[in-house]
Amino acid sequence: METLKILHYLRAINAENIKEWKIELRYKPDFIRQFFEPFVYLFPYFLYGFALLGARNSEHLKSITGISDMFAYTFVGYLIMGFLNTACWAMGASLRKEQWYGTLETIFIAPVPRWVYVAGMALHSTLHQGLIMLIEAIVVVIFFKIFFHIDGIFYSLALLLLMISALYGLGILVAGLTIGLKQWWVISDALSTLINIVTPIAYPLAILPVFLQKISLLLPTTYGVLGIRHFLIGENLSVSIPAIFLRLVLMLVLWIGFGLVIFLIMDRYGRKRGVLSSY
Amino acid sequence: MANNIILKDLVKVFKKHHSEVRAVDGVSVEINESELFGLLGPNGAGKTTLIKCISTLLIPDGGTAIVGGFDVLKEPVGARKKIGVLTGGERALYWKLSAIDNLKYFAALYGVPKKKVRQRIDYLLELMSLTDRANENVEKFSSGMKQKLAIARALIHDPPILLIDEPTLGLDPYFARFIRQFIKEELSEKYKKTILLTTHYMDEADELCDRVAFMNRGRIEALDTPVALKKGMPREQILELKCLGELDIEHFVQMKEAASLNLSKKDGFIFIRMSTENPEMLLSRLVETIRDKAKILSVNVTSPTLEDVFVYLTGASLKDAQNEEFE
Amino acid sequence: MNVITAEVRKSFKILLAYPIEIIFWIISPLLWTVPLIFQGKAIIGGLRSTAFGNIAGTEEFIPYVLIGAIVSTYMASSVWSMGFALRDETYYGTLEHILSAPVKPVYILLGKALFNSMLSTAYVIIQLLICILIFGLQVTFYKIFPILFFLILLIAGLYGIGFAAAGLTLLVKEAHGLLHLFEYVLFLFSPIRYPVEINPITRTISIFIPLTYALIALRGLLLNIKFDFWKNSLILLGIDLIIIPLGLYIFHWVEMHTKLKGTLSEY
Repeated sequence: METLKILHYLRAINAENIKEWKIELRYKPDFIRQFFEPFVYLFPYFLYGFALLGARNSEHLKSITGISDMFAYTFVGYLIMGFLNTACWAMGASLRKEQWYGTLETIFIAPVPRWVYVAGMALHSTLHQGLIMLIEAIVVVIFFKIFFHIDGIFYSLALLLLMISALYGLGILVAGLTIGLKQWWVISDALSTLINIVTPIAYPLAILPVFLQKISLLLPTTYGVLGIRHFLIGENLSVSIPAIFLRLVLMLVLWIGFGLVIFLIMDRYGRKRGVLSSY
Repeated sequence: MANNIILKDLVKVFKKHHSEVRAVDGVSVEINESELFGLLGPNGAGKTTLIKCISTLLIPDGGTAIVGGFDVLKEPVGARKKIGVLTGGERALYWKLSAIDNLKYFAALYGVPKKKVRQRIDYLLELMSLTDRANENVEKFSSGMKQKLAIARALIHDPPILLIDEPTLGLDPYFARFIRQFIKEELSEKYKKTILLTTHYMDEADELCDRVAFMNRGRIEALDTPVALKKGMPREQILELKCLGELDIEHFVQMKEAASLNLSKKDGFIFIRMSTENPEMLLSRLVETIRDKAKILSVNVTSPTLEDVFVYLTGASLKDAQNEEFE
Repeated sequence: MNVITAEVRKSFKILLAYPIEIIFWIISPLLWTVPLIFQGKAIIGGLRSTAFGNIAGTEEFIPYVLIGAIVSTYMASSVWSMGFALRDETYYGTLEHILSAPVKPVYILLGKALFNSMLSTAYVIIQLLICILIFGLQVTFYKIFPILFFLILLIAGLYGIGFAAAGLTLLVKEAHGLLHLFEYVLFLFSPIRYPVEINPITRTISIFIPLTYALIALRGLLLNIKFDFWKNSLILLGIDLIIIPLGLYIFHWVEMHTKLKGTLSEY
């Protein structure tokens, strides 16, 4: 009986994932556009950095991080941060999309617990962003001749998975907010902007003011970026590898737990106040 | 477990600025297995709110709701397994997906065994005469076709209990009739589903339902079979006049021969319906009253309809009743 | 004129219902410069760069990016607010009623453009004040009028693009992609974040974008960088004289086309 239930839930999760792909692929121009968008926001980082240096390599950056190639340094950070946007926007806004379609109540009546939808959203978002990330990586590696340490890929993937899972706690939180708050997007944008600022995407942690560094060390994106950059391009670390893994696991538990709590509170609030269907 | 619905003292309150609205105010009803139960009331009576409480979309503020043996508060997933919900309106389907893709998705969500999905979908599309359009995107469907697909979606997991909320709202007469026939002949008589149907069309409730409850301002005002409700009118006959002119309720306030008055306007005409034991006497009084204000075009003596019963019980017609918009 | 003021009044009332959004739109463009500031410090180890000065005309990159961020407020407003100006009405079902009113639709659009440009200007003024107080940006009194002059020319040009966007989103039902395209071109090929001279492709395409000349002028005025006042203003004016009628024509053509095809109210 339990096995049947689990199989049902897994099927529902996959059905949610497939449905989202099918709908996305109906909007072909928009689907294709999403593969170009990362470059639109990445290239200004490159060009700006190049304008500042007059070259690609920075001695000052090397003195802090051990990496002189500003392109490689920025690119790895930027690549990973795509999942932050996925958590805040794609995943976070998925229930809002259902409200817009008019289908939210219909899917909430289905005999599956809420976490099943959340897991379905997470699955779709991961695959979607993973595909974009892969293409982005191939293009940049070829055109900008950025080389990664092959032996670091396995550990990088492990860190990425942990970071994504923790970030989905944020996605779940935002999804919950969309149920009851009209201006949920302001909170989502504020959170993603702040996380973008304090995460060492295009600059090392040491550049940040001390109080921002402390905040940064509370974020999974920081450990994800630092650890993956270390494994892929050899950045010097101020935190040990075991500590990075451990902290990411802890954050995963805390962020997902917190996100789920907020989601369930907002779901209950939506059902108490009768605002589930209002767009 | 019996596939019935038991509501006991169900309450749902909405807080609005500095006031509160009791959209469902102590509703107690038992809907038996395989019964087609109608909930009749004007806009804002609380019908949709009640459906949402039963289907776990709203958390009631008091009372209990047991659906197919499951308490909606304590075992919401169990309750949802037993129900299929059909609402009026064109949304609640994915426009950019085909009919088949929509049904496949909901089949997975509702736990229809994988081996049976295709068969079930084919059967439902055939039942709804949508087989030819199965692979078209829903955005290209007419309103009636969307509603048919919505029925198919509500039935995808073959639920024993159906909650049907204003199913013919906004549909043209052809589709509306198809939906009614389908509910009566297929769902109720053939498949013996337990059905809670809400509507503000009295002839729909009269035609379809085994029992009808009148709901007004969150409360059940009366509950019985349509025949018994009509027989329960103190005055057994309805005098109906069709007039042309300017008439108002105040003109008829003094008429004690009538137990109830329903004044409505349609297509430029005024329709007066009054229940009475003595239609002849009432008619002569009416002619006196109306003479200088309007022209009488036709006179009819009929038996009471459910609308007449509703007007009698609540003092307001289904069309004209003003309830808070908390549906 | 009544129509325009009615549209402005309506939009203003709607805006006041969302005070958090007002704060967001003021602060957000400035927040997005913070990573660039940190990136600059990381790669050059200070707040000034000679290499940057050779291309951009100023060694101080922080004021450079701040001004770009402030001006980008107009870009967002013209592309998104105008682009969705009528699209939103389609969603609400009010578009046909609006277009059935006894006024030319262009006046409704002008009303929306006027409101959006006033709002953006208010945001820009507040952002400038923040930059003056926190980042030490200096604005002398006699520079205010030339700044306003270039801002007006910029607004006119961007809203010409906005008119075209408003029309095209009625034609192309999946509007987001189209508007993103406008946004990408403006963002990538104008000197908002970096001096476009750094790359031949960006330099070439930037010639056709009104933001380029406005940013050269505004940075010139605010950061005392040498620039040709009349050349930039004449080019900007020339672009405006082309873009505005073109944008209005595109809008008018789309309106006629959708009325013929009967697709006006389709969302």
